[in-house]
Amino acid sequence: MSPYLLPLLNTCGADAWELTETRTEGWEFYFIRHALDQHRVLNVTHTTVKVFRKSEDGAFLGSASGEIHESASEEETKELLSRLLFQASLVRNPVYALNTPKPVEPLNLSLPDIPSMARDFIEAMRQVPETPGESINSYEIFVHLRTRHFMNSNGIDLTETVPDSMIEVVVNARAEEHEIELYRSYTSGTCSRDDLIRDLTDTLRFGRDRLHTVPTPPISTAPVILSTSAAVDVYRYYIERMGAAMKYRRLSDWEIGQKVCDAPLTIEALRTLPNSSGNHAFDPEGAPVRDLLLIENGTARAFWGSSQYAGYLRLKDAFIAENFRVSGGTQDAAALRTGNYLEVVEFSDFQVNSMTGDIAGEIRLGYWHEGDRTTIISGGSVSGNMRETPLSFSKETRQYDTCLIPSVTRLETMHITGIDPA
Amino acid sequence: MNAPFSSYLQSIAPCMKQVISLLGASFDYVSILSTDSVGWRIAIGQRSKAVTNSTMTTERGCVIRVCRDGLYGEYAFNHFDPEHPEQIAQDAMAAFRAQRELLSLTGTRPYATPALPDEPCDLFTEFAAQELPENTDQKALIDRLSRLSDLAMEKGQHLIECQVTAQSTHISKMFLSTRRDLRQSYIYSEGSIVPIAFHDGKNVYTHVSVAGREGPEIFTALEGKLDESLEIIHDLLRAERVVPGEYDVITSPEVTGLIAHEAFGHGVEMDMFVKHRALGSSYIGKRVGSDLVTMHEGAKCAVNVTSYAFDDEGTLAGDVTEIDHGILRTGICDALSALRLGTQPTGNGKRQNFEHKVYTRMTNTLFDSGTSSLEEMIRSVSHGYLLRGMQSGMEDPKHWGIQCIVERGYEIVDGRLTGRVVSPLIMTGYVPDLLGSVSMLSSDREVFGSGGCGKGYKEWVKVADGGPCLKTRARLG
Repeated sequence: MSPYLLPLLNTCGADAWELTETRTEGWEFYFIRHALDQHRVLNVTHTTVKVFRKSEDGAFLGSASGEIHESASEEETKELLSRLLFQASLVRNPVYALNTPKPVEPLNLSLPDIPSMARDFIEAMRQVPETPGESINSYEIFVHLRTRHFMNSNGIDLTETVPDSMIEVVVNARAEEHEIELYRSYTSGTCSRDDLIRDLTDTLRFGRDRLHTVPTPPISTAPVILSTSAAVDVYRYYIERMGAAMKYRRLSDWEIGQKVCDAPLTIEALRTLPNSSGNHAFDPEGAPVRDLLLIENGTARAFWGSSQYAGYLRLKDAFIAENFRVSGGTQDAAALRTGNYLEVVEFSDFQVNSMTGDIAGEIRLGYWHEGDRTTIISGGSVSGNMRETPLSFSKETRQYDTCLIPSVTRLETMHITGIDPA
Repeated sequence: MNAPFSSYLQSIAPCMKQVISLLGASFDYVSILSTDSVGWRIAIGQRSKAVTNSTMTTERGCVIRVCRDGLYGEYAFNHFDPEHPEQIAQDAMAAFRAQRELLSLTGTRPYATPALPDEPCDLFTEFAAQELPENTDQKALIDRLSRLSDLAMEKGQHLIECQVTAQSTHISKMFLSTRRDLRQSYIYSEGSIVPIAFHDGKNVYTHVSVAGREGPEIFTALEGKLDESLEIIHDLLRAERVVPGEYDVITSPEVTGLIAHEAFGHGVEMDMFVKHRALGSSYIGKRVGSDLVTMHEGAKCAVNVTSYAFDDEGTLAGDVTEIDHGILRTGICDALSALRLGTQPTGNGKRQNFEHKVYTRMTNTLFDSGTSSLEEMIRSVSHGYLLRGMQSGMEDPKHWGIQCIVERGYEIVDGRLTGRVVSPLIMTGYVPDLLGSVSMLSSDREVFGSGGCGKGYKEWVKVADGGPCLKTRARLG
């Protein structure tokens, strides 16, 4: 941060301000099969400021944000702050209070170094059990250490360093002239080596199955089972609708105490999850992150969100949540896999729209269970709406980075568009 | 006037050339892309308003690309002293050395690739602009956007919110290598109206937009889109669910563009050819569509949000005929992939920003027009749908599958619109089947540049797509 930024912020005429400086050290490796396409290094710092101006009557608060580049001179910085102040004066939102200093318990993470993080991924990928018929096509590794420093005009001054990683993997399966691919993407704090190898081993098995699919038959309606990361989007529907922004903007009509799910659904925001990339001691506005019960046994209990929207809803100790735990299932995963159902393990792009509740996704690999028969299928699509389909889920859980969710989710009434036989 | 090139980039050019010279002693190839793009985004709704000076493409930073012994590396940075290029070179060398140590430790071998050719080229392009985002009267603009949002609430049925957004970005990029000095600047803008309604327990919303390689003057066109957006809301509120099946469909230009982009465009991004991830690689020279299908791709084949003079690897912009009357001729290619495939780059090497790697990415992806009128096309359908409004899509280059989520369909029976609306729609199928059944194309053509494109689920860049209306056969669910 330049030495003149803080003095300028304090004297520019803003009624309040926030400043976030994020320094990122990152390594990236791009592989074609196991040969290195390219290696990259990131050494970047971004400083963003947000200035606030109250209206003359104090009823409204405007804000505007922008990046102060590391290369900006004192003159350029003054000019940008002046522009931000002008822009803030044009924006009239109901007034709300910025966060004030509160005790923040540090995460006390033991931070690995970047080379170790990268090495773990590189070595893990070599341990995936490939065969001549199922193998790794390509993968991309991203590892970062990010140091975030947040300050505001109320006196908050916090710093933390956290790791985050991502690996994107494409696997192939082949039989004679026919080859298919499956795609996986994993985010986490550092490398979860065992989880990665286990999931990719499963993926290779799915790849083998994908070689033998038949077109999805015209099923019409059936229950759909989700047992992969696609299920996260189902629960994000509930999480986002418990967001203060959606509530205040009337995009969510849920009320505290309202039954929002017939299933015994419980959703909590959590301060930490094991090796999550979303583990933070404080949120992007300097509020301490804590555990918070959002939905209990299907009933809405608390909204979560930024200081602006939390302020409008008069929420106490609000924060922007990143980690979530979904629980409440009473059945074993096996008990959910009964009757006729379609279990889809690979979609093109599974989507659940948190505003409309619409569900959609093209089937790349699914298992249609009808009586005693299981048919491996591909093609066609599933669709439905969260407001119309009963939900059930297992008591067993599985973590996908920032979300710990039931390992099996069942959407009871889904429309399945198959491929008409010729 | 012209969009002026960044004075900041002009000021650091000598430093970057020094860095290239210093690193040139240790590498077979060195180039630096430097960027300085400024802009703003204004979002006005009934319940909240926001102004930010960042858009999808605002950035300032540099990325060095090097090659030695067949291995490519990059170093992205944004804080440095331009008076000390030797420090930048030292930092980059230290970073590369540290990574190479890890690669040696893990026994990693490179995907050996020759050094990129570095043909001499000097270019300085400032594209024309009527108004610069830096000079916009933002008060007047915010007032106009607020009035639009208020007017929508007055006129619309069951509206709970109407968000109106406007964003404008002034792009400056500089590509330097031992023999190339390329500098460009241009402005692009996009705006949208998003009315949101709630009725009978149902939430619906739509998105109408304007976009182009223009300045903030483009936002006056938003006023003309308001009534259209409210009519769409009215249609969505009464929409039913489609009976899944295969139908004759007529796609509006926006949906045509979605097909061009998702169903086909991604499938011929040739970095996928290198990895054997594209079915298209085995179809070069073969039929992939009907005789009516001709498709172009390139920064030069339309003037829209990503119509630049050179790409992020210093390759000049191109205009490629991908499909020529149904025959697949070629794909699009970044420079590194072109080298590996033994072909020519097409000016499609793009980064999300200086912190990200280059991938082969689309620019303008367009179907050529035909000769029919929309009325003729509707009359030719015995039972099908007129598809309007794109929501999203996902590529599948390996299997040439299609997933496009279309906002709404208007039923056609016996050559007439019945008034019945279905929404939403998932269009799925197999690309050669879809393109092979194209039987009519309208004589008009539109290009759309709002939103963004990902490579899978990351690497977001600006793209544009479009074409005429087309009639084909598709599976809807």
